[in-house]
Amino acid sequence: MKYLPLVWNGLWRRRAQTLFTLASIAVAFILFGILAGIDAGFAHTLAASRMDRLFTDPRFGAPMPMSYGEQIARVPGVSVVAPRSLLFGYFQDPKNTLGVLCSDRRFFALRPEISISAPQIELLRQMRTGAAVSVELASKFGWKVGDKVPLQTNTAQADGSRVWTFDIVAIVDDLNYPGQGGWFIANYQYLDEGRVDGKSTIDRFLVRISDPRRGAQIGREIDQRFANSAAPTRTNSERSQAQSGLQFIGDVNFLTDAVLGAVFFMLLFLSGNTLLQSVRERTAEFAMLKALGFSNVAVLSLVIAESVLLCLLAATAGLVMSELLIPIAHDALANFVVLLQMPWRAMLRGFALALIVALLGSLLPAWRVMQLNVVNALVRR
Amino acid sequence: MLGEFKQIVSLTGIGLRAIPQRKGASLVIVIGMALVVAVTLSILSMSTGFMRSVRNTGREDRAIVLSQGSQFEFASALSRDNVTTICDAPGIRTASDGKPIVSAESLATVAVVKKSDGLDAFVALRGIGPQGLALRPEIKLVAGRLFRPAKHELIVGKSARAQFAGLDLGSQVPLPQGDWTVTGIFESNGDGHESELLADSETVFAAMRASTFHSVTVMLERAQSFEQFRTALTTNPTLTVDVVREPQYLAAQSEFLNDFLSMIAYVVGGIMGLGAAFGALNTMYSVVSARAIEIATLRAIGFGGAAVVASVLVESLLLALAGAAIGASAAWIAFNGDLHVAGGLVFKLAVTPGLVGLGIGFAGTLGLIGGLFPAIRAARLPVVTALNNQ
Repeated sequence: MKYLPLVWNGLWRRRAQTLFTLASIAVAFILFGILAGIDAGFAHTLAASRMDRLFTDPRFGAPMPMSYGEQIARVPGVSVVAPRSLLFGYFQDPKNTLGVLCSDRRFFALRPEISISAPQIELLRQMRTGAAVSVELASKFGWKVGDKVPLQTNTAQADGSRVWTFDIVAIVDDLNYPGQGGWFIANYQYLDEGRVDGKSTIDRFLVRISDPRRGAQIGREIDQRFANSAAPTRTNSERSQAQSGLQFIGDVNFLTDAVLGAVFFMLLFLSGNTLLQSVRERTAEFAMLKALGFSNVAVLSLVIAESVLLCLLAATAGLVMSELLIPIAHDALANFVVLLQMPWRAMLRGFALALIVALLGSLLPAWRVMQLNVVNALVRR
Repeated sequence: MLGEFKQIVSLTGIGLRAIPQRKGASLVIVIGMALVVAVTLSILSMSTGFMRSVRNTGREDRAIVLSQGSQFEFASALSRDNVTTICDAPGIRTASDGKPIVSAESLATVAVVKKSDGLDAFVALRGIGPQGLALRPEIKLVAGRLFRPAKHELIVGKSARAQFAGLDLGSQVPLPQGDWTVTGIFESNGDGHESELLADSETVFAAMRASTFHSVTVMLERAQSFEQFRTALTTNPTLTVDVVREPQYLAAQSEFLNDFLSMIAYVVGGIMGLGAAFGALNTMYSVVSARAIEIATLRAIGFGGAAVVASVLVESLLLALAGAAIGASAAWIAFNGDLHVAGGLVFKLAVTPGLVGLGIGFAGTLGLIGGLFPAIRAARLPVVTALNNQ
């Protein structure tokens, strides 16, 4: 520890060079932090998807009859069933597409992550045209409780109009994705009484089961009930759907690992070269240290310590910066990925990487210093 | 002016000839730029390949009709009356037998299992009309025979077959009202239809107990007939439809994935580029300080400041370009033409000349930034101080 000032001075011998090396290593760790944040976002999506929540979807795309709900509820192990249908439309501009989720109070039992109070659920039930919207939508379109929201849709009403008007009765949040989650939840009754085509049909049944381990088995039992009917079903847990969905984007993990590999190769080279150059310029200094009685191991440790100090400083700066950048980038990238603060485990992995780069990068310079012949080095001066 | 140019050339020559003496520092620039360019181009090759595959499907003289406001075919609904009206519209090409070349299509989803990881996925079963193959001459059978109308038969696109289990010739595909037989395998110029199943439109319509078709695709008399066709439909009071040229429709469908990949490429490339620029700055500062005495001597014997600046800039630029060339070749060798699956489409990664140009331009800019400040410092170095330090 008492050699710290010596190491510190060695590090800052050439200020500009050290600063640039620090900056480029720090930049690499910003990238590391952001990629770790993207990974964390994917992991969170997976973790938030539940194994005890099943989705019963139409096997071939055409909607299912409402009566399936009661039959699904009779399958052993099923605790709650919520039917829902989507009404696609847009608000004012065709770019503002919205999916209105039409269901009833059972939906909130299946999605406890939606922060809605019992009185609000009751209010929504009583108001046929009522709707609960997420904080995200409310702030995007400036909606308040009590507002009337007309949506242009594809679904015709009895009078031929395709405009459906909703009254906002509650503004809710999604506890899994605070501030996100474009929920627009309305009454199925309003949709079904109003529409002309496809009456009493359902796009999806959400099914809560009591034992998450029996998901696959219960799913099969549900599908068997309708296997020979006009509208066969396909039941999956939310978890396995999320897994398929993430796979769809391509192998993100492979991508991030490949990028990190390239970045750290670059770092190794950069820090190794800086150190090598600095050691070469200080040949006489190290020879002097040796002449003063420093052992080979001691000078070797000095060089390694300098490298470790450089990399850890840079890693700290980079990781702290990425923690500051992520909240900003989060909004900019919200359309594409859920970017989260990296978990502490990723942070530790970052420091471990910094240490590895530091050790590998100092290998050659440290070897040179150890091999240094004192007499030759001092004579050359 | 000419003298100054000569100075630049000879100074740059001196600098470049000395590169072997500082291999390590010069390699920092070369390797840094090579990695930045290789990584950025590899990611961009995905979106380029994807868009190229999407564009392959589209023809300027084909248009697709969807019900108004529908973002994708599954959300669209067109009644049989609507379909009849659309087929009568002006601007549609007719076949030799006088029938308009149109296809009213009915879609269904089929649950399948991916061969690679056993995960669930869906493929689209597209029911095409009697003119469906005249409309899409790019579809060619590579094995088996065509499906027959009113029979439960279908043909499978070759990339759907490669990717998913149970879609081989003779396989039974479970659909409503029993299993359908795979009677043929087709290819389609590497476009999106190769990831689909095709069958007869009316047969799918009946099996799905559908009340509406999903979309109508028409062959226009020529690409310029589009406006005539579109105006006829959008001004018809019995229709509420959107009419889009096929390439535009497909581009809109793939916008998200394309934006996603480009965003990743620019974020990653931008951050790595920043790191590489710092590396270049580092190297060039050390080059300048190592050559301080040499530069001061040259200034003393009459070389101008501009020549010094230019020589440092050119050295940094050349090193960066060398790196870019290595990186671009690496990306090309490793990825160009590789098959990749994303967004439900199988496509070839494409490292195009345009991308290579982009990579070289990016690295060149970074190299110039990395050389600029050291160059200015080299030119400003007071001659007397530098020589006195000796």
